[in-house]
Amino acid sequence: MTPLAVPPRPRTWPRTVAVLALVVAITVVTITPALGGIEIDLATIARNGHFGAARIEKMLHPDLSILPRTWRPLQETLAMAVVGAAASAALALPLSLWAARPTNPGVGRRVVRAVLNVVRAVPDLVYATILVAMIGVGALPGVLTLVLFDLGVVVKLVSEAVDSADPTYLEAGHAAGGTQAQVNRVLAIPQTWPVYASQVLYSLELNVRISAVLGLVGAGGIGRLIDEMRGFYRYGALAVIIVEILVVVLLIEVASNVLRRRLR
Amino acid sequence: MSASVLPTKPDAVVAPARPGRPLVRLAQLVTGAVVLAALWQLRLDWTTVAGLPASITHYLRLMFAAPDWSKLPYALQQTWVSVQMAWVGALLGVPVATVLGIPAAHGVGPLWLRLVLRGIFAVLRAVPEVVIAIVILTVTGLTPFTGALALAIGGIGTHAKWTYETIEAVPDGAAEAVRAAGGNLLETARWGLWPAAAPELMSLALYRFEINVRTSAILGLIGVGGVGDLLTGYTQYRTWDAVGVLILVVVVVTMAIDAASGAIRQRITKGARIRVAGTD
Repeated sequence: MTPLAVPPRPRTWPRTVAVLALVVAITVVTITPALGGIEIDLATIARNGHFGAARIEKMLHPDLSILPRTWRPLQETLAMAVVGAAASAALALPLSLWAARPTNPGVGRRVVRAVLNVVRAVPDLVYATILVAMIGVGALPGVLTLVLFDLGVVVKLVSEAVDSADPTYLEAGHAAGGTQAQVNRVLAIPQTWPVYASQVLYSLELNVRISAVLGLVGAGGIGRLIDEMRGFYRYGALAVIIVEILVVVLLIEVASNVLRRRLR
Repeated sequence: MSASVLPTKPDAVVAPARPGRPLVRLAQLVTGAVVLAALWQLRLDWTTVAGLPASITHYLRLMFAAPDWSKLPYALQQTWVSVQMAWVGALLGVPVATVLGIPAAHGVGPLWLRLVLRGIFAVLRAVPEVVIAIVILTVTGLTPFTGALALAIGGIGTHAKWTYETIEAVPDGAAEAVRAAGGNLLETARWGLWPAAAPELMSLALYRFEINVRTSAILGLIGVGGVGDLLTGYTQYRTWDAVGVLILVVVVVTMAIDAASGAIRQRITKGARIRVAGTD
């Protein structure tokens, strides 16, 4: 019986050590106040922990009297989420095809990608703050913020899906003498449909969650009520609003799961 | 096969009729109706929409025609604080999310544990970061540490969800083998699931840092520091030339961090695969 030759274990520890050292170094710099880092103050947590506990305690006693006042803002949030998702969906389909290599072999792709990278790099709250300053408070700056935010997410993921999709269909289309536009219309769009639909549904869910933030800067929706309750220290009411958002997000998640399964 | 079965004339080939798909039509109609209803409900002021391009170009000129570069050092310094909050937030949140996320995966933890954990994650996902920060700042005050803690706790909900989804996507042959050999929950996770899921989980941890960099800008709203503080301040006082500088800094820093972390993540996930292919 010949002894089994086990291949030697690859020597990965020098790399592991280097990576660990880097992570530790960054961590030390970020948490050492002497080096301009954040001060991690565990003593304060021990000392003031009961304040936080008291606030959570208040949240655990929901103040249901707020319920009637939440319907309008909640409806507004839902409407903003739907309109934002729909508008960005309409814009995202052509943009994704422009941003993917198989559907846009020209140089235009680079331009679209660069612009979208910038659009994605700006945080949603920055859009909301600036748009509110530009065009005033209300639902319009909120919807515009959602459209910009959703575009960044949906176009990136859908165009990546197009990039990695099976290109033979498109090749066949070209071989049959189709123009790029015809190939995109007849072959690329049906192929991307499931990814696209599921991303749009996901952006609808994200929109409801973001609206909590949008309201804080005056861009409409349920966030305005959150800000108000926070100002009046009505934590019980705040808890009710959060539970409402939770229910809505869960409902959308369940619905979109069902739809996604059917779309496949 | 004889030639007689072939159609004699090309037009004898009849394409089958397109299926009617009434349910799809109905779904499309309902979706359209919902969108229209939502639009009607919002009562957007269309007169402002007409003036929108003009006002946006006006403000863009205010912001970027002559940015106030004297604010640049301070902006960079505050951005560094934001990045630190993001890093510490990821450092505190990711390990907790990973440890809690693994038993929440199908086939790892028992059903009751899975349900409890998933419920907690769903609640954490629904609570906005800003609300979490409001609770924490009563304990730690208005410091960047508060921001880091809010990012950590707020991130746990999403990150744990990604963790259990990743674990569920791992082919479960190895885990089954460990269980068949008599391994308990801990041993199954360590030897059956972790080796297969580790690259993806590392990449997700880095991605959490990327997301935290974006989110930390939001936390400035309640005053925990970082570039978000400056942004809200300057926007409120309509100091547009300073806002322009801040936006440039945020965009450049975010894109740089995304690019760097994206490259590393690609190495983590793709690199591992190449190494495995090379050894056998």
